[in-house]
Amino acid sequence: MMGNVAANLICPFLGTVAFAVLFNVPRKYYLAGGLTGTAGWLAYIFILNFSSAAIASFVGAFVVVFISRMLTVRMKCPITVFLISGIFPLVPGAGVYYTAYYLVTDQIALAGERGLGALKIAFAIVLGIAFVVSIPREVFQGQYWRNRKTEKMRTGEKQ
Amino acid sequence: MDIERITDKKRDYMEMLLLADPQESMIDRYLDQGEMYVLYDQGRAVTAAVVADLGGGKCELKNISTIPEEQRKGYGRYMIHFLCEHYSGRYDLMYVGTGNSPDTLGFYHACGFVNSHIVANFFVDNYEEPIYENGIRLTDMIYLKKKLDSELDVKKVVDLAVEAGRILLKNGAEIFRVEETMDRICKRFHVDYVDSFTLSHAIFITAEKGMNEVYTKVKNVPLSGAHLGIVTEVNALSREISAGKIGIDEAWEKLRAIEQIPPKKGYFQVLAAGVGSAAFGYLLGASVNESLVAFGIGCLLYFWVLFAKKLHMSKIIVNIVGGALITLLAVLALHVPALGVARLDGMIVGAIMPLVPGLAFTNAIRDIANSDFLSGTVRMIDALMVFVYIAIGVGTMLSIYNNMIGGITV
Repeated sequence: MMGNVAANLICPFLGTVAFAVLFNVPRKYYLAGGLTGTAGWLAYIFILNFSSAAIASFVGAFVVVFISRMLTVRMKCPITVFLISGIFPLVPGAGVYYTAYYLVTDQIALAGERGLGALKIAFAIVLGIAFVVSIPREVFQGQYWRNRKTEKMRTGEKQ
Repeated sequence: MDIERITDKKRDYMEMLLLADPQESMIDRYLDQGEMYVLYDQGRAVTAAVVADLGGGKCELKNISTIPEEQRKGYGRYMIHFLCEHYSGRYDLMYVGTGNSPDTLGFYHACGFVNSHIVANFFVDNYEEPIYENGIRLTDMIYLKKKLDSELDVKKVVDLAVEAGRILLKNGAEIFRVEETMDRICKRFHVDYVDSFTLSHAIFITAEKGMNEVYTKVKNVPLSGAHLGIVTEVNALSREISAGKIGIDEAWEKLRAIEQIPPKKGYFQVLAAGVGSAAFGYLLGASVNESLVAFGIGCLLYFWVLFAKKLHMSKIIVNIVGGALITLLAVLALHVPALGVARLDGMIVGAIMPLVPGLAFTNAIRDIANSDFLSGTVRMIDALMVFVYIAIGVGTMLSIYNNMIGGITV
């Protein structure tokens, strides 16, 4: 059990950092990127316990993009730096393999099922990304919340 | 005719400077700090000028003088035009102070300067000997000013913007970032009437200059590999530009330097591909042994990818052969008992990951989410095709194996 937990923490981290290297992300972002990928994966497997792969992928993508956007504001760099490698653990690479496998072994029904499954996961990731991307930029800036807080306090005083 | 910046032995030109400012001690006040330029015509120094920084985006033309026999031939005006263009990236406003003499005032007005303010009794207070010009004693210093942005060449700004956009697009930035960066650069250098349209592999931009001049540029940017380090650097540069920290020439130089940033070293990439393959293989259900084999396969696969990139092979070849290579190696590993692997799928799924078009896929989604449908569609098709190529490679090799052995154990 412990080994399982360790694997679920270390593997996504290593994998995400490896892909950050392949995409030539500057070294100073490795740690943040790796943690983003790990967080996304943890969210994915947690939700997978009581829901379908598509919904789990949606939540995973949501978490990855959300953290990426926060990091972007904090570290002043393009969101792509964290997002691309962070999303990798969720990408349905396995679906591609199984679809190809069932196709060549003439198990068309299974191939269709796997292919559609991969497509569903891809679409779930699309939605997860699109949702967070649509949140206005200001929400991720500390200034926005500070202003809100002072505004609330001011209106509170009036009452 | 060419203009050179003088950095040492400025005092060699004292004789010329004294033509415009008759007291050496006054020249000494600004000569060392100021930037000096001399215009040469056929090897002879004709016009000299000194510009000093006033802070806050302002500079002052402290001295401009042309040798007497060449005056009124346009050298001075040429020099001022050069200075205005040269400093337009760094300063917003250029001042020049002069005595109340109609000739010099007329000259500056003709060069585009307008009256600014007057410092009363400047010449009386600061100069030991009275200065006479056209028989009138100079007393007050009259300051004129000129806004420098009008001098900046629209073409040069737009070229810089497009170059920044091209580098971003080539290295895997999203459409909105490309457009935003180009917009920022144009706004900073006061090219206000600019319209751009960016596709996944092309940039179109037009800018208006004055009433009737329009500058248009189309840039084709072929789809190619990603280098997010370069995207990050260009992004940081565009922030610096819009904060007004660097001028246009410096920006060009930095952009050139950024483009030369090399990708990560080959062996490092190979190693990363191996680690990525092993980690994802394990996550997707491979055993420890299978992950270790996936590490080896991922490394070998990336040797192929780097080799193919060097020869500029098309994506079709890279991915189909890549997929086939992975499967072949996995099948071979299955038949080496010492490796202790039982199943194909974990190894193959892990080793596929370095080929997966994560960047194209994610960017496609982001572009579509930003309503850049055309670019998003193109990138999505790019990503989907890569998935298909991988599947073809893997599938072909699997079916060959299947026919040879007569059945695969999953």
